[in-house]
Amino acid sequence: MMKKQLLMLFVVFALLAIPLLPTAAQDQVTLVVWDNYVRDAEQAMIETLHAQFEAAHPGVTIQRESYETSDLTTLLPRALSDAGGPDVAMINQGVANMGALVAANLLLPLNDYADQYDWWSRYGMGLHARNSVVADGSRIGSGDLYGVSNIAEVVAIFYHKDVFEELGLSIPTTFDEFEAMLPAIKEADYTPITFGNLDAWPGIHTYGAVLHSYSTPQQIDDVIFGNEGATFDFEGAHLSAAKFKEWIDAGYFSNGFEGMDNDVAAFGEFANKESAMWLAGSWNSGPIIASLGEEAVGFFLLPSAIGAETPYTIGGIGLGYGIRATSENPDLAAEYIDLMTSSDAAALLFENDYLPAVAVDPSVLTEGTLTADLVNAWNTISSGNAVGHYLDWTLPDAGARIQELAGGVVTPDEFVANMEADYMALP
Amino acid sequence: MDSAFRRPFQAYLLLLPGLVIYALFVLLPIVSTVRYSFYDWTGFSDPTYIGLDNYAELIRDPDVLKAIGNNLFFVIFYTIIPIVLGLFLASVMSRGRLKGMVIFRTGLFVPQVMSAVVVGIIWRWLFTLDGPINTLLQAVGIEPRAWLGDFVFAPYAVGAVGTWVEYGLCMVLFLAGVQNIDEELYDAARVMGANAWQQFRYVTLPGLRQQIVVAFVLTFIAALRVFDLVFVLTNGGPGKQTLVTSMLVYEETFERNRAGYGAAIAVMLAIIIVVVSAAVFRYQSRQDAEMV
Repeated sequence: MMKKQLLMLFVVFALLAIPLLPTAAQDQVTLVVWDNYVRDAEQAMIETLHAQFEAAHPGVTIQRESYETSDLTTLLPRALSDAGGPDVAMINQGVANMGALVAANLLLPLNDYADQYDWWSRYGMGLHARNSVVADGSRIGSGDLYGVSNIAEVVAIFYHKDVFEELGLSIPTTFDEFEAMLPAIKEADYTPITFGNLDAWPGIHTYGAVLHSYSTPQQIDDVIFGNEGATFDFEGAHLSAAKFKEWIDAGYFSNGFEGMDNDVAAFGEFANKESAMWLAGSWNSGPIIASLGEEAVGFFLLPSAIGAETPYTIGGIGLGYGIRATSENPDLAAEYIDLMTSSDAAALLFENDYLPAVAVDPSVLTEGTLTADLVNAWNTISSGNAVGHYLDWTLPDAGARIQELAGGVVTPDEFVANMEADYMALP
Repeated sequence: MDSAFRRPFQAYLLLLPGLVIYALFVLLPIVSTVRYSFYDWTGFSDPTYIGLDNYAELIRDPDVLKAIGNNLFFVIFYTIIPIVLGLFLASVMSRGRLKGMVIFRTGLFVPQVMSAVVVGIIWRWLFTLDGPINTLLQAVGIEPRAWLGDFVFAPYAVGAVGTWVEYGLCMVLFLAGVQNIDEELYDAARVMGANAWQQFRYVTLPGLRQQIVVAFVLTFIAALRVFDLVFVLTNGGPGKQTLVTSMLVYEETFERNRAGYGAAIAVMLAIIIVVVSAAVFRYQSRQDAEMV
């Protein structure tokens, strides 16, 4: 009797457990994705694309984990070494990041997939070079492709249209015109250029933009990609450092910039219209549009100081989607990347105030909006092969060095000498 | 009473859970860090044994020297000033009878228990150009200044925040110590005509010697391993004016992918801390021996 009851109980439980068994026949696959879309506003956008992907691939579930870029960069090397790590992950460029991952054989070369899906035509080859790494990971700019990006960025100048109107200024077409505006703006009691450098990285953008204006793409490419004979000690570096310091001494940047943080104080100064311009990255457009709307603020490129037709400035493509070398589903991962970097995805990114890396159809732009200015600025430098670089990609101390220059503890020439010494000391 | 000693097996069994956790999360990482310091290793590549090369590099690395120098500068603000301030507050609070003493004491201790990140964010705001500190100084005729971005003043500004965090610990330690000083000693001192300063100098101070040593070692370690507060306040800047050793460990290990070199710097920092702490305790026990 007792035994019978136990048997019955066992049978009942066994029947109950059937739905819990893995349905191996249906080929359930989980694609693990790590990205940096942490903001609330971004969730709907990514989930729309994921729903599309899952609908097109029955049995596939996307498992997404999102981190701030700096956390993502720190966590990825260990995660990609792990068999259960992400199949697809957004990889930060640069020798210290993508380069080190390639050196440790953690990433899959994407060249075959790029041929198959024609990723090469997504944007210019000069931009693909940023996601390319030589086999031993020691240099970027050539070698196999390890990432495909979906977002673009430009460092240029946000300006208040009504302040320009009030002072009778128009968008400068030459560097001299730009420079001539600065004292006029200061006299009218506006800060000419907002700059908050407490955290050191904004200097890489603000000084960096002046440096690019004084440089040719070849000169900066050489430094960043470590080409033969590359040097930071070139005329444009000296001239730009001197010009940057001259502007600081003349008070053309925010008062007390050295103790001002970027995200709250600098943004606040510009948003409150205490300044006329903000030399900053295009990714700041979201908060600007949110607080001032599409029409109040415009965006233009800092003109070349050496007379180049297309202004050369810092810009680039955002983190690139890469595939873990040991992923069990590389084909599926490639299909995922194809979707996330497609023009459909670009349209969705654009709707959400992002600047997509893939060219946006001009017909969707509304003239006179900040978004249109951003797209035009990107198209100008992207098609003109004038997309520059962030110095800290190869010179990790660049931010501290620029603070030394700005703080006057070194002369512009000493600054260049220190940067060159750092550069020569690189492994 | 000594049943535990008669059954050592059970005593060890009771210790085991704690020991396992300690071994897993403290001892093992220490041993691993020392081992990594002998390798050229990105943190995820195949490590290459390079002997003492990392150590040879770090003694010639100007950043390491600069960072240790900054840490030693912070000892003034993390250790010396808090101890002096703590002694002052403890002697005032224990001798006088102020109303609302408990609220006062709790309030003064709050900075010690707050998260360093929260402290950092608060002080970043306090130090802004149009923030409360500059407004206050302007009222007495001092020009506003970007404290945290100033090459001269940033180390002092960061140090001052350190003082604000650490003095509460010293104060509480000394307050507890003062309670243990025999009241008769003060009575005797008073009878002999000692004024408040003399009572402090000849009764309170010798009575607190042990607490001072403990406070010194705790705050000294805090000054040498500080990371979060500086990371939030200045990120080591301007230039490298507030760069500290633990920040360098972080940068080398996670930003420059030189985990072996980062480990070597960490080991060096640990050795400095252990040597100084051991020297201080040894000095104290010798003093105690002399007093008996």
